[in-house]
Amino acid sequence: MAAAKPEPAFLTTARDRQREMVEQYYSDLASAGGPKRPVAYMLVGGNLTEIVRSFGFEVVFPEIVALNCAIKHVSLPNILHAESQGYGLDVCGYVKNDLGLQELGGQTPFGRIPPPDLLVCSFSGCYVYVKWWEALAEKYGCPLFMLDVPYMRDAEPQAEDIQYLVTQLNEFIALLEKITGRSFDLAELRKTLARSRKAEQGWVDYLASGKHRPSPIEAYFEAVFYMFPINVLRGTDVAADFYATVNEEVRARIAEGHYPVPEEKFRLVVEGVPPYPSYRTFWDFFRKWGAVSVAATYPKVGGLFDRGFLHDPARPLESIAEYSLGAYVNQSWPLRRQIIGEYIRDFEADAVLIHGIKSCRSFTAGQGDLRDRLIHDHGIPTLYIESDHEDPRYFAPAQIKNRMDAFFESLDRRRGSVPLPVVNA
Amino acid sequence: MAASPALESSASLDSPPSLELSDSFEEFRRAASIDAITRLAREVLLDPTYPTVRAWTRAGRGAVGCFPVYTPQELIHSMGLLPVSLHGGGESVEISHADAPLGSFLCSISKSTLELAMTGLMAPFRAFVFPYICDVSRNLEGIFSRAVPNATTHMLHLPQNFQSKASVPFLVAEYRRLIAKLEKAGGEPYRPERLVESIELFNRQRAEIAQLTATQRAEPGKLTLTESYLIRRLGGLLPREVHLELLGRVRKELGARPNRRKDAIRVLLVGSFCEQPTLDLIDLIEQVGCYVVDDELLQLHRWYDRVEPSGDPLENLAATYVRSPVDIGVRAAPTTKAAAIRQRVDAADAQGVIFLTAKFCEPALEDVVLYRKALDERKIPYLHLEFEERSAAYEQSRLQLETFVESILFD
Ligand code: SF4
Ligand code: SF4
Repeated sequence: MAAAKPEPAFLTTARDRQREMVEQYYSDLASAGGPKRPVAYMLVGGNLTEIVRSFGFEVVFPEIVALNCAIKHVSLPNILHAESQGYGLDVCGYVKNDLGLQELGGQTPFGRIPPPDLLVCSFSGCYVYVKWWEALAEKYGCPLFMLDVPYMRDAEPQAEDIQYLVTQLNEFIALLEKITGRSFDLAELRKTLARSRKAEQGWVDYLASGKHRPSPIEAYFEAVFYMFPINVLRGTDVAADFYATVNEEVRARIAEGHYPVPEEKFRLVVEGVPPYPSYRTFWDFFRKWGAVSVAATYPKVGGLFDRGFLHDPARPLESIAEYSLGAYVNQSWPLRRQIIGEYIRDFEADAVLIHGIKSCRSFTAGQGDLRDRLIHDHGIPTLYIESDHEDPRYFAPAQIKNRMDAFFESLDRRRGSVPLPVVNA
Repeated sequence: MAASPALESSASLDSPPSLELSDSFEEFRRAASIDAITRLAREVLLDPTYPTVRAWTRAGRGAVGCFPVYTPQELIHSMGLLPVSLHGGGESVEISHADAPLGSFLCSISKSTLELAMTGLMAPFRAFVFPYICDVSRNLEGIFSRAVPNATTHMLHLPQNFQSKASVPFLVAEYRRLIAKLEKAGGEPYRPERLVESIELFNRQRAEIAQLTATQRAEPGKLTLTESYLIRRLGGLLPREVHLELLGRVRKELGARPNRRKDAIRVLLVGSFCEQPTLDLIDLIEQVGCYVVDDELLQLHRWYDRVEPSGDPLENLAATYVRSPVDIGVRAAPTTKAAAIRQRVDAADAQGVIFLTAKFCEPALEDVVLYRKALDERKIPYLHLEFEERSAAYEQSRLQLETFVESILFD
């Protein structure tokens, strides 16, 4: 039966540190803009933050602004405003949050988001990126650089893909030199990438700790909070130090036997973007059953560092090219299935939970097929739930709770009778 | 993950397959008039069992299904395979299997294409190519193999950076990946001289189609949009040699046809570049009093005028695609959307714009917002209609179209 509901456990120092970093970031942004600190907009997947920052830009990630708005329950007015401009119900909620917010002046509870001086579209795994950045370019009339990232269909990056990307990166650098009047400093980039690598290694170590039984981390709900530095502040000492703090606390958790779910009953792999407007509620539906996410695909939207890739200062542009290919949604469905299969095996998961996003085809189209394959071809208990990442109107708590309760109940009944699957989904 | 066999049932079809064509496509070779050609075209379109593909493959030849909007069909043709433009299930396919694997909030073409595969109707195809035009088409490829376990599937990454000097070499490399797959799927080995021949054939087909659409624009009383549409649609279904002959007959007949002018407004039809509206809806647009002087329907033969056959044909094919000026929802804009729509209105001397977009087609829908703003600024009237393959809102569309036409006629 269901356990009493505990409060969600966070790593204390790391969580405080993360809050400070986010506050600092938005306060820096609020004072940016103008000739001294121009602003570049970038997408999380395949982002070129190290290069852009080396030219003195502040970087806005509208996806992250959007999820922050959703989690703070202020996304709906932005969405409604975008809808009043003609964006339909089915358009990605991130896009509507951003375009609505832009029209409304960019003010959020965590600071004002400055308009862009440069738009960098890393087209890595989501076609909506292209449409979104076109709309911003239309509104602001600022330069738009399109980094066309080939879709990953083979397990390893292909030489022609890398060549294509490196040429584009050189063209991008030439554009930045022209815009800013500054020269590109390769030696500085190498140093920045060394710091990125350190942060990435820390992030990978954190994610790998989900293999412990019981898991000392919550690899979906909690990990989402610790994603911020790896996506936004990569290349800084602050990010690298942050993961050192995180991992120290994780080790302490293991030593003290203090786990995010005190009585771990079910180990889950979670696929899909979280329902940010109802984040806590959704998390509660897991915790009441002693269910912990031991691995999740969503924290890999910025890069698949846990699968062997780390930036390499010795091959700066080549490794940035490889990085841009590695956004999770830039992986073909066969590769995504393989990743999920390996998570199930390596993290000894009992079941898979898929959270589908109504307004995101990139993640969601085909998740039903994944569910069918997991259940019917591999015998892995899998639940598919659908709502939205931005739009609170799509979260039906009673219905979702009922389905999750029924799922965990049946999992409970099956416990012990099903051998652990070995999957290459 | 192990593949499971395609579902056997074809219960989702409203009507059983009926049209049997001869291996040599005599029916089309004999169709002497536009009337006869378009009658046959209607029969082909209403039969979801791919009659032209069945006729072609009966003699042991291979066919490749090409999802919209652009695939290098010249290349596929040069390898002895029939490139076939896929346009979903149209009106005759009801979705009963494809909803679950694909998910909700998705356009009909993605679902009906998967439905056709899951019900075994795509068995005559040897391979499928899905260009990365949007996340739906891309993901569809990733789950398609399970429905057609014996066929090859390929996701083609078309470049979205049209400024880079590396875009053409990259696309050549992409085409080489496709060649490798098609050779494995039973295509003849790639030979540049064969590609040159195919390019020349397709150049002739494009020139004929360009003439057809030029007539539609300059003398809209000569042929209806439906006629033009059906003739063009056959271009992606028939062996190109057969289609080319047929286009020659169409040209001759049009030369002698009177330009019967009627009281109609000149409109631009925007947004249906991938999923296709029903024939009834296409008919309706003209019935209510519109001359469609430019449209985005069936873009394939209109990406460029011609490909240079001399030199390296693969590189020429790639370069022509990259340099194409086509600006639709699934190709990053070479200019702003506002400038593009105004330029098209001016070039076609259009009095208004009809946005005819597939339901849930996010690339089209996002453009419409920008287009509308640009048109508002110039006070150019427009109407936005959404459709599905099995649209039920026909009467409502008629009313909206009539009101739109009247508002322009009596302005
Ligand atoms: S991946 Fe999904 S959520 Fe992210 S921008 Fe694309 S459509 Fe929106
Ligand atoms: S109709 Fe639109 S969303 Fe659907 S596959 Fe075509 S381009 Fe993509």
